Amino acid sequence: MPKKINVKTAAGSVIYPTLFGAAVIISWQTGFLHKLLKTDEYVLPYPTKILHIMHENSDKIMLNVQASVKVALLGLLLGSLIGYFIAIIATVFPKYGSGGLTIVSAFNAIPIVALAPVFINWTKDVSEEAEVRSMVAKVLVVTVTSMAAMSVNAYRGLTELPPFSDDLMKTYAAGKVTEFFKLRLPNSLPYIFTALRVSVPGSVIGALVSEYFAEYIIGVGRQIRENILIAQYATAWAYIITACIIGIAMYIVLMIVETIALRKRK
Amino acid sequence: MKKIKRILTSKIFVTLIWIVALIVVWELFAFHVEQTKRTPENIQPHLSGIVDSLTSSRKINGSQTALQMVMENAKATLSRAGIGYIIGIAAGSVLALFMSLSGVIEKLAFPYLMLIQLIPILGMAPIINAITGDIAKSRIIIAAILTFYPVAANTLAGFKSVQKEKHELMYSYAANKFQLYTKTMIPACIPYFFTGLKISAPMAITASILVDTLQGGIGLGCLLSQSLKGAMTRYVFWDIVFFSAVIGILSFYLMGVLETILCPYKRIGKKE
Repeated sequence: MPKKINVKTAAGSVIYPTLFGAAVIISWQTGFLHKLLKTDEYVLPYPTKILHIMHENSDKIMLNVQASVKVALLGLLLGSLIGYFIAIIATVFPKYGSGGLTIVSAFNAIPIVALAPVFINWTKDVSEEAEVRSMVAKVLVVTVTSMAAMSVNAYRGLTELPPFSDDLMKTYAAGKVTEFFKLRLPNSLPYIFTALRVSVPGSVIGALVSEYFAEYIIGVGRQIRENILIAQYATAWAYIITACIIGIAMYIVLMIVETIALRKRK
Repeated sequence: MKKIKRILTSKIFVTLIWIVALIVVWELFAFHVEQTKRTPENIQPHLSGIVDSLTSSRKINGSQTALQMVMENAKATLSRAGIGYIIGIAAGSVLALFMSLSGVIEKLAFPYLMLIQLIPILGMAPIINAITGDIAKSRIIIAAILTFYPVAANTLAGFKSVQKEKHELMYSYAANKFQLYTKTMIPACIPYFFTGLKISAPMAITASILVDTLQGGIGLGCLLSQSLKGAMTRYVFWDIVFFSAVIGILSFYLMGVLETILCPYKRIGKKE
């Protein structure tokens, strides 16, 4: 049965945030925000100026966006696959596997700033070209950061089965393999998306931060830092806004994929 | 025989086996690096070398040993992370409380709360540094922002988790808003609140170290970049990497311990 949506509350949940956002942007443009934060329009440029710079440098920005998104997506894919694989192993060998899960989730608590330089050291010999080896190092950092969320959630999805479904499988005389493909695998699908909701924003952050330490200078995160170092604050802001758009866009894509993938379960 | 089997399959033993396996892999790799590279400590030193560098009494910058240096900088970094963490917790839980009290505030703040999670705050570290103009302040602010979202989101989820029946019970008791919150809502959201704390503790530390790397001064991140640039022995870098990893993991477990101490339901659950 479709839920009746109260028009008044629905309108409110759009109008209030929009008003708030508009108020912030207006106070920014009129300079009130600068007084509030005790800063000047040099460090915190007006929104119109930032948009202008984004428009002017759109080619260069796109180049950096491509680099960052490539790192985030590759790392996310690799990390999620490895994480899921770990979860499968933990399901097949519960005793030692779940111990491994504890270790993997402990990895999650390691600060990315500590990981990034280590991976850059390790990948020094991967390729002659700085661009390639920096890329590998960055992807590895994102891989490690997105691995933990996936393995922990997928493990829950593979083991926390609906009541009696196990018994049903027994009455069908289903083997372990059939049980895995017909019951456990489909059951873990919603949990995969739970993991991705955490690891998609995480992968963007991982990509940006690992760029700080990379040898080869490219990527949205690195551009923020480089432009601040040469005191080009307006350009830095253009990259910050870009970074925010990347984060939000990737999350929206995830939401769309999730709705499509899980539509039969609602 | 049974006893041995129980020890072999106990959780601590399994975790130990995994740690030993990781150490073995690390050392094998380190031996390989040692044979093929001119400066193995730049890529992967032996664990014993790292421990040596921490315990040796050799002064590395004239006045301090490696351990003293790491500890002094860690104190600065961790105290800033701690202040930011506490500010973030306070702001996050207060916002969650207001959001649960007032529908307008909830509608106003919720989309932005979602946005904060999606925006790469760590990427904004340099600009916040530029705005505040003070590196110490910006470290605290970023640690606070990063702590803020998980705490606020989880606490709000905790307020939402209170079943309808409990609301009805409080209604039939004619409980006022204050009693409703102190007797049912706040106790119900405590476990969720601690989940938020556990998620954000390592993040606050990461933030503090990362902001350190942006500017000189005192702090683990500054020391890390100095060591990477070759201003001092590479082992300082490895010390910091391991130290921050351990601190990150410990901070997560510390919150769990705190929860067990502060919350009776955890202790009762354990005994059964």
